[in-house]
Amino acid sequence: MKSRYRTIFDKIFTVTTGLAVLLLVVVLFVILGPMLLRGFSAVLFKGTVEFRKMQLAEFGHGDPEQVRVESERADAVRANVYELIDNFKSGVDIEQLTDRAKEIYRNYGNELRLRELPREQYTALRSLSREIRNRLTDAFSSNSIEQIREHIEYVLQFEDDERFVNTTASGFFQLARQYQKAAAATDLDKRQEYAVELAELEDIITELLGPSPTEDSPALAQFRYGATRWDQAQKLLHRLRWKERWVEPSGKGNLNAESGVSLVRQEFSRKEQFDGTELEPLFGYIEENIDRMLEPKTTFYWRYFLDDSTPGHYFGGIGPEILGTLLLTLLSMIFVVPFGVISAAYLTECTKEGPIIRIIRMCVNTLAGVPSIVFGLFGVAFFVIFLIPLFGGPSQPCILAGSMTLAVLTLPVMIRSSEEAIRTVPRTYKEASLALGASGFRTFMTVTLPAALPGILTGVILSLSRVAGETAPILFTAGITVGPVPDSIFQKTRTLSYGSWDMAVGDKLSAQVPHNQFGMVVALILLILILNALAVFMRSRVFKRLKGQ
Amino acid sequence: MKKNSLCGFAVLALIVAGSAIGAEKLHIEGSTTVGPIADGFAEVFKDMYPDVTITVNKSGSGTGAAALIDGRCDIATMSRFMKDQEFKDAVARGAFPVAHVVAMDGVCVVVHPSNPVNALTSGQVRDIYLGKIRSWKEVGGPDIPMVVISRDTESGTYDTFDSFIMKKQKMASSVEYVTSNPQAFARVKNTPGAIGYVGYGFVQTGIKAITLDGVKPSIQTIMSGKYPVSRPLFMFTNGYPELGSMTHKFVTFHLTERGQEVVEDKGFVAVTSY
Repeated sequence: MKSRYRTIFDKIFTVTTGLAVLLLVVVLFVILGPMLLRGFSAVLFKGTVEFRKMQLAEFGHGDPEQVRVESERADAVRANVYELIDNFKSGVDIEQLTDRAKEIYRNYGNELRLRELPREQYTALRSLSREIRNRLTDAFSSNSIEQIREHIEYVLQFEDDERFVNTTASGFFQLARQYQKAAAATDLDKRQEYAVELAELEDIITELLGPSPTEDSPALAQFRYGATRWDQAQKLLHRLRWKERWVEPSGKGNLNAESGVSLVRQEFSRKEQFDGTELEPLFGYIEENIDRMLEPKTTFYWRYFLDDSTPGHYFGGIGPEILGTLLLTLLSMIFVVPFGVISAAYLTECTKEGPIIRIIRMCVNTLAGVPSIVFGLFGVAFFVIFLIPLFGGPSQPCILAGSMTLAVLTLPVMIRSSEEAIRTVPRTYKEASLALGASGFRTFMTVTLPAALPGILTGVILSLSRVAGETAPILFTAGITVGPVPDSIFQKTRTLSYGSWDMAVGDKLSAQVPHNQFGMVVALILLILILNALAVFMRSRVFKRLKGQ
Repeated sequence: MKKNSLCGFAVLALIVAGSAIGAEKLHIEGSTTVGPIADGFAEVFKDMYPDVTITVNKSGSGTGAAALIDGRCDIATMSRFMKDQEFKDAVARGAFPVAHVVAMDGVCVVVHPSNPVNALTSGQVRDIYLGKIRSWKEVGGPDIPMVVISRDTESGTYDTFDSFIMKKQKMASSVEYVTSNPQAFARVKNTPGAIGYVGYGFVQTGIKAITLDGVKPSIQTIMSGKYPVSRPLFMFTNGYPELGSMTHKFVTFHLTERGQEVVEDKGFVAVTSY
């Protein structure tokens, strides 16, 4: 009877533990899966012609000839968009039109001055051109079609005047004709409304296709290109089609002013706002030709892991971050392994158990629980301000200071695991060595240490993972968010963990380029995995050698 | 043995290479809020002066001030003015901080776009953060409880809000704290009953800025100081930088047309108007 119960309990135990492991795996997938997926989209995605243009201009990757051909092909399709907007604008954007009229007047004035005309002729032309300018600006700001016609007719009577032919003043007449045409096609009373909507529309088109070819190149790379990724373009296309508004849920009749009601989101067609205007065909045109305007191609951006990035990680890769993380991690291992092993050797081999050892061990354990930011502050105070200047180095945060801080941080882990490893070496090994006449030191170096090596390597694995992911200790001792690739260990560096933190808290960029943030996180995970795999591989090699295979 | 000596050489080479490089360097340390402006300037400077290496770190206004005093950075970016104690420390160590206002920022009170409330007075906002007003119904909204979001007490944005709106009164315990502007933005965007405050640059699609004391936050109202919660953003240098030096160029870059463009692109209000 009893044994039956026991088998049942045994089975229940097996099933529950199995379920627990399964749950763990599922949770891992649920959490890591989307992250990995989004991270990989930084490397594998559909890139547009804007992406290839950006890669060529900012990082010098790609075939210049091919990019030129592609962007010319795309520009040819895009030209229509700009033309439609310009035409519509010439009837709507009063400010711009007025500015242009003033500019022509100014240029013409300069031209007159250089022509050395007789005094009275100069004055006459000057005042006539001023009159034309004023008439034009009046026409621009007028809302009555009659007035506009009057002004424009006045201006156009001078079109064939030989005094103006082949001078900059001919710009006046071009402007007048353009406006005449546009004004006839636009509802003049709705101009103000159109102007606001048009500004919004132009912003979206700039984001989609990049700044218009006539504009100056923006200062920041982020604004120099259109949508570089097809998924971005799709989102923008949606925004182009639909305008988001928050309205009262059941029409205005129902509104109770006393207790407000929550507004609901509605999407209005942008196209309808421009119904019956010259701009209407724009929407259909963009939708039909978006492929040809952006030429999406599946892109495998493997250089992501090597490339530098523009400040703020809008474009480019994470090469310097990976290099920095590797340098810091490996250098801190160089510091921590000898110190950790020597300390462990002292604790196990050189002293007897006693109150002092217990106190030391307690201190080490406490050190393991100290928050990492404290190590960061310690690193600044000790390494940056005191130790490195003591040896003639610069009192600056640098890779050396950062890796030493990280080494201190992970020292307790190293000591504990080395201690355990040394302790598990069978006494008989040591006794045999001592019996053969070897000294204590020699015994430790040739017998104990090699036998404990697998355990020490386990400590290295644990430390590696901790060190590579830490942000707080390097915040003050080694990290920067913008800067060149380090060329010595006395320079500051960017790292993956600090980089992803920076993206999350500082700028609003992370919302715009989530793939870059996830890419960085995934790269960090992969890096730790690879380093760990290497350490595990080394450990198994050591094991085999120990077994004499 | 051979391996070891190789490693030694590698380390030695790194050290030697490091000391051999003598190009002009500029290190900027400080606020996470002003950091993006420094990022932007650094990006433009990289093209303009390719020989200069510029490094930017964002570890907080206080750290920036400390680094400037210790001479560990050339420029400290700060979202608040230096404190008394920091000035005293600086003078005691022979450093004389000079402030350069590179941009203005408004701290905007924001709500979810489904919220019909468009305007509040600063007294109402204070009462909300003091926990005296708990439902949107009391200020003319729907009958849903308020989710009150604040920045952490270490941030400069909190400082500004605390002195302009809260008048240094302690916030209610029900207030939820978040540690960055993007987080505050995301929290308000996804919570219909939420109220929070963010820098002007973060007022974008997805959240709605409230008209405060009858003034809507905009470039004009923040620049002219009409909007009640405006603040300047600083770069501090040790003494006024030598004219024509790289530090000088950097802290006066916001006065150029290109600089204004960068400041505006990063979502702040420029002090110039080209």
